[in-house]
Amino acid sequence: MKKFVLGFIVAILILLIGCLAYFALGFSHTRADTKPSALEISILQSAVRASVRRAAASVPNSLPANDDDLVAGGKLYVAGCQGCHGDLGGPYHEDRDLFPPTPQLPHVGTQYAEPELYWIVKHGIRMTGMSAYGPFYSEKQLWSLAAFLRRINNLPPGMLEKIRPKKTG
Amino acid sequence: MKKFAAGFFAGAMVLVIGTFGYLRLGLLDVRSDAPLPDMMARLLYAGIHASVRRTAPKAQNPLPRTDETLIAGGKLYLNNCVGCHGEPGKPPSDFGATFYPPAPQFPREGTKYSEAEVFWIAKHGIRRTGMGAQGPYYSDLQLWSLATFVGRLPNLPPNVLEGIQQHPAK
Repeated sequence: MKKFVLGFIVAILILLIGCLAYFALGFSHTRADTKPSALEISILQSAVRASVRRAAASVPNSLPANDDDLVAGGKLYVAGCQGCHGDLGGPYHEDRDLFPPTPQLPHVGTQYAEPELYWIVKHGIRMTGMSAYGPFYSEKQLWSLAAFLRRINNLPPGMLEKIRPKKTG
Repeated sequence: MKKFAAGFFAGAMVLVIGTFGYLRLGLLDVRSDAPLPDMMARLLYAGIHASVRRTAPKAQNPLPRTDETLIAGGKLYLNNCVGCHGEPGKPPSDFGATFYPPAPQFPREGTKYSEAEVFWIAKHGIRRTGMGAQGPYYSDLQLWSLATFVGRLPNLPPNVLEGIQQHPAK
């Protein structure tokens, strides 16, 4: 039994020290202009998803958004989000500069619910390019943005034109 | 010996399964708007620094170390970097502070990275931070001028600061 415990402790120490040494000696990769592996994406995405679900569980459900809210949210998206998350109504461009790459929301949509989207925009996702927008937007703006994001790849007809009036001339 | 091996195996399994379980159950806090603990910051920055030092080629800056180079780099900086990294002579960037880890404020802190390393970081970005790769958008020479400029922050020659602010590039 003593030897079992000793082995147990040695294994944990070796793994922890090994991890620290790996990072401290600079063996981890830093450059952002490559793609994460499918395995890494699936591990991290599920961790973020589970954490957001847990954290946003206490966020009250928003009132149902009307068309005006969606248009307001869409305008916020165009002004503040599309630089990284993809042009509304534009062609698909792969994100070439951030790691993990920014989801191109107008094309892929989102699996998050509105209170979760509200939470993400407000608090950000650490160790990604997603910063916290709580200091810059009002509660109402955050909720209208969340309502818009929820429907971003499935907008009601005519909505796109209301958000981005076609330039004349 | 057999018992030691069994204990070793069990310890390794507990750590690996524990880590995955922790992640899967959503126990990892993911919000950006929380302070980065000192200990974490030190580990993180040391790891990034060591990795960049190991990876970035020891290239020689091809540009002359003149005021013109600094001004060219400064204009790029003013156009594209100040949003997160802060503007010389202004308060730190509120936006840069909302990232996790937060964007370093070069006009106040300067940088401990060499010019060749700053060039490499600007070109390739730093993964798992808000620092995107700028290589697809700028030429190498532009990035070298930027690296020269960032390397001189926070101690810019006064005429360089004027040169940048007098002719803001469009």
